[in-house]
This record gives sequence, structure tokens and C-alpha cells, in this order.
Amino acid sequence: MTILNQIDRFLEKIEHHLIVIILSLMILLSFGQMLLRNVFDMGFVWGDTLLRQGVLWVGFLGAAIAVKQNKHISIDVFSNLSSAYWKRLVSSFTKFFAAIISGFLTWSAWSFMQFEKESQSILVLDIPVWIFQTILPYSFMIISLRFMIGGFKTAFIQNDAGPSR
Amino acid sequence: MIALGIIFLALLGVPLFAIIGLSALVSFYNAEIDPAAIFIELYRVASNPSLIAIPLFTFSGFVLAHGKTPERLARISQSILRDMRGGIPLAILIACAFFTALTGASGVTIIALGGLLYPLLIKEKYGENFSLGLITSSGSLGLLFPPSLPLILYGLVAQVSVDQLFIAGIVPGLIMILIVSAFAITRSTVSTPTFNWPDAKSALKEAIWELPLPFIVLGGIYGGIFTVTEAASVTVVYVIFIEAFIYKDLNLIHDLPDLMINSMILVGSILIILGTAMGFTSYLVDEQIPMILLDTMKQYIHDPLTFLIVLNVFLLIVGCMMDIFSAIIVIVPLIIPIAQSFDINMVHLGIIFLTNLEIGYSTPPIGINLFIASTRFNEPVIKLYKAVLPFLGLRLMGLLLITYIPGLSLFLVNWIAD
Repeated sequence: MTILNQIDRFLEKIEHHLIVIILSLMILLSFGQMLLRNVFDMGFVWGDTLLRQGVLWVGFLGAAIAVKQNKHISIDVFSNLSSAYWKRLVSSFTKFFAAIISGFLTWSAWSFMQFEKESQSILVLDIPVWIFQTILPYSFMIISLRFMIGGFKTAFIQNDAGPSR
Repeated sequence: MIALGIIFLALLGVPLFAIIGLSALVSFYNAEIDPAAIFIELYRVASNPSLIAIPLFTFSGFVLAHGKTPERLARISQSILRDMRGGIPLAILIACAFFTALTGASGVTIIALGGLLYPLLIKEKYGENFSLGLITSSGSLGLLFPPSLPLILYGLVAQVSVDQLFIAGIVPGLIMILIVSAFAITRSTVSTPTFNWPDAKSALKEAIWELPLPFIVLGGIYGGIFTVTEAASVTVVYVIFIEAFIYKDLNLIHDLPDLMINSMILVGSILIILGTAMGFTSYLVDEQIPMILLDTMKQYIHDPLTFLIVLNVFLLIVGCMMDIFSAIIVIVPLIIPIAQSFDINMVHLGIIFLTNLEIGYSTPPIGINLFIASTRFNEPVIKLYKAVLPFLGLRLMGLLLITYIPGLSLFLVNWIAD
């Protein structure tokens, strides 16, 4: 469990840095594109394509981190109404459940990426599409893992309070 | 049977993306479609240029909410409007709408602005119930104004021009504000108007950099200077610049990375739902599910008017169960074919949609803003139920106007197009 935790924390750190780097680049690139277009009436065709892939990257990295902060959107009918014991029980159950589904989604994201790899389509600047799509299976896999760890913590460690929304 | 099980899981609080992913996996398995198809639609959405506007505007909103923008907004609006009848409530409505439009997430408005504005209302003897109700329901008021995130998301999902949506929301948004402030005037206790020029001037001077933001966005887009996406990138750069170098509320090294990560967590929680849902809803549309619904409806509903009434009731229920983003992603693709067969304009539909969901936010018993306000002001939720009721009634009136007079949403759009 501790080693899993350590790996998890290490990956989270990398994810944080990636978000900061990619988002900063996106801001610079989009602002640069805007200036180029308005001032010099020019621009890079690949700029917008790259920016949109950037959105998927920062978004899915954000989604992976969101698990740790209980920020995934859910319909919260009961959590505002029920007792602490039930909350914990339900919360650990929903986390395990989300972990299983995310596992399946990892697999479908993986095969989606494989399809693109076989079709050998190229996005921009000679970079194949599937390279950009690696973020999908990665983030679903991490999400699945984090829900699993979260589920264990909620179920077996007394002080974890469950959803905080 | 399976559907009921899935709904039960959703109500238990399983994250929505997992619920939708499960639904997609189960139905694709039954239809013998490769589960990889779930993500195909995500890449279609990802080819929409407006997509880039989402992380950029979200991040700008986080930067604004981090600094002292709420304080400055509260100060400027009250110093100008304080001495009018109903001035303080009007100031609150405007400040909240402004802030919500820029930050998108309406819970933030209650937390950031509510605490500053609630004492003001009490001081002006507006009464506890009125004050709580006003602030709780103002928390979602700005969603119709550009550059609010739900407007962009609706444009993406419904494939409607975001430019048009930005314009379409203005008049309906103003109507909602006017209706509530008319009510506030009847409760006003202001007796001696003493307009304090120096105070207003210094407040104006303080907020002078933030106030032009909506006009930069709108003016830029409609002046033909930049696209929605470019407006978003200009907003980010502008906001970082003023918060870091003019107001000095923002430390580039200490604050910026955290704000980036936190805002992308929000973007991610929306994007993952978009990712799992788009493939599934387009499958449902291919399977003619909306058409089957439509056929059933057509036995009872024959005109657009009745359809809109049913739609409103349905969306109000959705609005208090689901958050606005997932509601747009999941419900819009299914409603569109039906609405089209009743000849509803897609831009108008978007405004109806958002107005409904905006009201749903503070609709008892489970509208999320009620719980946020309950925590923020330390009042039992039951008390808030009572406090929001008159406002709920007023906003429903506004909703009826917006729904049944399409011109309110569309005349500016058509006027600009001409």
C-alpha cells in the first residue's frame, strides 16, 4: 500500500508540472496566434490543432488529479441528508465502483488508441495522432487506481471523511 | 432493470462519468459495437475551435476569484447604487451576475461575494429571510452573460455559434435582474438619499481595470477584432497582467501554478463527462431514441407551446438534480432532435436551457446553492427553503417570459446579423 501511495504521489507531482507547462504554452501560443493574425495577418495552421490537443491533455490530467480531491461531478442526493456512518459506507462503495468502470474505460481508451495507431494517421508536424491520444488510457488508468486507493482509505481508515462537495 | 440499477447508482453518488461510461459500455456491448467507439465523438468535439475557450476562460475566472476582485466589485456597485431605492439589492445582483459570468461556477459567487454582501443587506434592514434568499438566488444569476462557461459548452454540444449565444443571453439575463430588483424596491428601506461622490469615484478608480472585461470580450468579438477563442486568450493575458502587476494580488510563482491546477481540475471533471457521454448520446440518437420519445410525446403534445411547458418542468427537475455542465452534455443532444421537430430555434433553446438550470441551482429541496449558502451563512437548509421561495416565484415568471417570447433572446442576434 505504501509503495502504491508513493508511486501515486510521484505521478501526481509530474501531472501537476505537466498541467502548468502545457497550460502556459497554450496561453502563449494562443495569444501569439492572435497577435500574428491581427497584426501581421498570418498564423500557423498547426497552432489551433495543437491547442485543441492541449485542451484534452490538461483536461484529462486535471480529471486524474480530481479523484484525489473528490472533485468529480456526481449527483449528491443523499450525502447532504444521511448519517456519517452511511456516508462512509456509501462513499467507499461508490469509489470502488468508479474504479471498476474506469478500468473498463481504460481498456476501451486503449483500443481506441490502437485503432488510430493502425490507421497511421498524422495530426500535425509529422506527429501521429495516437501519440496525442495516449493521455486517454493513461488518465483512465490512473483514475481507476486512485479510486481504488481512495475506496480503501475511506473504508478502512477512520479519519477519511468521504465526499467533501 | 439495468437502467433502474444505473439510476440508483447515480443517486448514491457514483461519479457521473462512471455512470455514463457504464451505460455506454453496457449498450455498446449489447449492440456489439466496439467499446473504443465511446471516444470517437470526443475527438469530433475536440475539433471544434471553441473548445480552447473553455480552459482559458476557466483559468481567468480562477485568477479573478483568487484576488480581491470580489471586494472591488462589491465596493463599486454599492457605492454607486447605495442611495437608490432597492439600490443595495440591485448592486448585489449586478455584482453577482458580473462575477458569475466571469467565473462560471456559481457556488463560488455565494462563497466569495455572499459573505461581503450579506452584512450590508442586514445593515440596511432588509430582513434576514429576504437577504438570505436574495444572495442564494443571485449565486447563479450571471450564467446567461458572456463569457460564461455553460454558454460555451452549450455551443459546443449543440453545434451552435458561441458568438450568437453570447449575444442572445444578454436581454434575458437583464430581465431576470430587473424582475428581482423590482421586488427589492418594494422592500426598500432607504430614506435619505445622500450620494457620496468621492467614495464612488475612488471605488470606480479601484475597479477601473476589471470593469472593462466583459466589454473587451464582447466588443472584440462583435467588433470583428477577434474570435471567441482569441477573446479567451486575450482575457487570460489581461487578467494575469492586471492581477499580477497592477493590483499585485497575484504572485506569479506562488499562486499561478496552484490556480492552473485547480482550474484544470474543474475543466477535467467536465471534459471527462464530455468524453464518456458524447459517444453514448450520439449512439442513442442513431438508435432513434429521441424520435421514439417524440412519437410518444406527439400523442399528447401537438404544439410548441405545450412542448416548451413540458420542457421547462423537466429541466427544472434536472437542474436541481444535476450540475449545469453534465446536464448540458447529457440532455442537450437528446432534446435537440425533439426541439427541432417543434421548430424551436437552437439559440433560443440554449437560453431556455440555461435559464432553467440556473433556477434549478436554488430550487428546494436539493438545489446545490441552497447547501452552499447553508454552509456559508450557518443557517439550516430548511430556513433557506423558505427564504428563496419568493425569488423562485419571480424567476419562474422571468423564465416564462424568456421561454414564450423567443424575440427576447433572438432580436439582438438577428439585429447584429443584419
